[in-house]
Amino acid sequence: MIWLRRYGTLAGLAAIVLFFSVMLPETFLTLRNLGNIGQQVSMLAVVAFAMTVVMVMGDFDLSVGAMASLSGVVAAVLFVHGWPVPLALAAALAVGVIGGILNGVLVAVVGILPFVATLGTLTMFGGAASLVSDGRTIFGRDIPEAFSGFAKGTVPGLGLPALTAVALAVLALVWVLLEQTTWGRRLYAIGGNAEAARLAGVRVIRLRIQAFALTGLGAAAAGLMYAARVASANPTQGNGLMLDAIAAVFLGMTMNEEGAPRVLATLVGVLILAVLDNGLTQMSVDSYVREILVGAIILAAVGMAGLGGLARR
Amino acid sequence: MTATTAGPTGSAPASPLIALSGLSKTYGGAVALDDVGLDLWPGEVHALMGENGAGKSTLIRVLAGVTPADRIRVRLQGRAVPLSSPADAAAIGLRFVHQELNIVPHLSVAENIHLGRPAPRRLGFAVDWPRLNAQAAAALARFGVSGIDPATPAGRLGMGDRMMIRLAALLAEADTPARAFVLDEPTAALTHAESARLFAVIDGLRRDGAAILYVSHRMDEVMALSDRVTVLRDGRLAMTAPRGGFDRAGLIAAMTGRAEMAAPARTAAAPGAVLAQAEGLATDTLRDLSFTLHAGEVLGVAGLENAGQSALLRLFLGEGRLRAGSLRLASGARPRSPAQAWARGIAFVPRERRREGVMPGRSITANTVLPHLAALAGPPGLARPRAEVRMAARLAGALRLKFRRLDQPVGSLSGGNQQKVLFARAMAGDPRLLLLDDPTRGVDVGARADIHAAIRARVAAGGAVLLTSTDLAELLALSDRILILRDGSQVGLVPALGLDAAGLLALIYGMAGRAGAA
Repeated sequence: MIWLRRYGTLAGLAAIVLFFSVMLPETFLTLRNLGNIGQQVSMLAVVAFAMTVVMVMGDFDLSVGAMASLSGVVAAVLFVHGWPVPLALAAALAVGVIGGILNGVLVAVVGILPFVATLGTLTMFGGAASLVSDGRTIFGRDIPEAFSGFAKGTVPGLGLPALTAVALAVLALVWVLLEQTTWGRRLYAIGGNAEAARLAGVRVIRLRIQAFALTGLGAAAAGLMYAARVASANPTQGNGLMLDAIAAVFLGMTMNEEGAPRVLATLVGVLILAVLDNGLTQMSVDSYVREILVGAIILAAVGMAGLGGLARR
Repeated sequence: MTATTAGPTGSAPASPLIALSGLSKTYGGAVALDDVGLDLWPGEVHALMGENGAGKSTLIRVLAGVTPADRIRVRLQGRAVPLSSPADAAAIGLRFVHQELNIVPHLSVAENIHLGRPAPRRLGFAVDWPRLNAQAAAALARFGVSGIDPATPAGRLGMGDRMMIRLAALLAEADTPARAFVLDEPTAALTHAESARLFAVIDGLRRDGAAILYVSHRMDEVMALSDRVTVLRDGRLAMTAPRGGFDRAGLIAAMTGRAEMAAPARTAAAPGAVLAQAEGLATDTLRDLSFTLHAGEVLGVAGLENAGQSALLRLFLGEGRLRAGSLRLASGARPRSPAQAWARGIAFVPRERRREGVMPGRSITANTVLPHLAALAGPPGLARPRAEVRMAARLAGALRLKFRRLDQPVGSLSGGNQQKVLFARAMAGDPRLLLLDDPTRGVDVGARADIHAAIRARVAAGGAVLLTSTDLAELLALSDRILILRDGSQVGLVPALGLDAAGLLALIYGMAGRAGAA
């Protein structure tokens, strides 16, 4: 039972991969398709890794999808105004940090439950994205080649898609921060018992704001990646990322005995969602059926982990 | 304490009300209880003692029908009865008051008393509030409790009143007669006054012929209340004896398997350098406190519950705001946050272990090193896991922590060992000032001795300690001087040497005549 609890999710990923390689022998396990998955998944991965940071503290950020949309349109509108690419990207990322700080202040200083606070900012960011873009999609000649070209590029010598490389870099960064620094240790302590952590000298308010800022930055980065990949930006294109990111973190949490989020486990969660999406699409499964299947698989995984906990009692 | 020493009254019953025998329980090979027997006689308070992990909790869970025993024989007034489910326990007439009181804070006192049973109704569906409240008031009146309005939300009441609500609820359960009450550490969160009220209620129940199984670590209470004592050690019956057949030393020997550790004689040592000085200190809850704290000194803080002890400790931790006066520390100004306090060598063991102390899901190591991460870290804030484990291992050894692995979650340790982890956390930085808010609450005799030894070692090394305790004997044994608070005001600052519990209590209650005798 403990084995199932620890490795069930990983075994599930292996089973899904096996299933699709048998069902789609020609196309699934090809370098081309794997590269494809790597690229498709990179935006979700970045958001999920960033989401892991706040979920370590037992918090949530529902506004990541709206923030991804907002940062995309902010960059695109600045392109339209003739800003150089690096400056526009920096501004869009700064919007992410500011939005994240706003979330952190609402949660840590004002004391609004993360669910409610980020639900509010989700709506605000969504509105801001429509306002900034006038509700239109920005595409075509307004998007500079230097920006959209990046998403099509690969890492020289490795053949690794550039977007995948960015996701891996974010993974490495978040892993070092959460697992290797005292900062990460304190974040986990807050998740373990915030009041006890505060009384033991952890600066809970400051850390929570920093963590939310980081999540906002990750969401903004993912939004830019998305906009580069589709060479356009509209005020709702990132919205779908939020639920999948939370689902990925939850899937990952099933691999941990204490149920604490770990960023490498989040990666497994992300891969499960990505492989399912890719495989089912190739098998021409209706997209609505796909949603039902994905939801059921998430519930099955989390439910099984819960049963494991029950058996241990 | 108001409990009388009366034993079973009326005609002596021929057989015990409830007789357990041959009780054994193993958890996956680990023996929790081994051939234990326990008799509960009507009209008797039966104390159950033992160190944490001795099997008391398992015994209670078996009695409650929550944990089925491997082997057990139960006789109710001589008749064999089953006991393998909560329904069986209820049918036998057993009632339980747990350490963690199960009350619903948003519901009224009356609703809490009627929880789980149909309330009196009007027209078949509407709750008959006046009758509900009247019934609740009647149930409370049986305990001589009249100050509680049945319509107030239960969450607004203090711990003592909640205990009364719980007991009233147990008595009001009408399905089966309540014959025996199991009270698990009922005074752990109560003040002296609340405890005294509870003892009066227990006495009343006893006179009505109920059997009471009283689980407690507190020697004074056991000596004052019980007609019979059973001691468990390592899952076995270590001793069972009627009143007169046990004494303090005998109980401790039975619990620990070793003779009472003689407390090192306290001598009035020459005070060290002044570490902190309060002058005319006042906050929202404290008034006009003036004292000095020296290196190498334990300053006890005594008073009734909420007389300001915790607030005073928290002031040193950087919480609360000064309204008047000053609090100067040798190391500089008063810290402005717990983080700053820890950084300046001020360590804290909180009163509420679960709420303010442990991170139950995190490892022993993570719990121990949390305030010291910065000191242990490498240059750019990189954690050094091996140094963390070394620190945790060193302190676990020094405090004689009972654990399997340092990476096991703290929540899986017994209460006393969780408390030791909090001590390890506080001790790890060799603090100059140790703030201890009732540090041995719910902790068994052995763990208590280890914690006391750690406190004395810190003081001997030149640290200062600010200590509160609901256990007066502990306060007297550890303190050099005792600061007495009443409603936030300083009413005395006396040397502990030569003071006894009665004398200290007299000072706390403000009976100056008796204090003179101390």
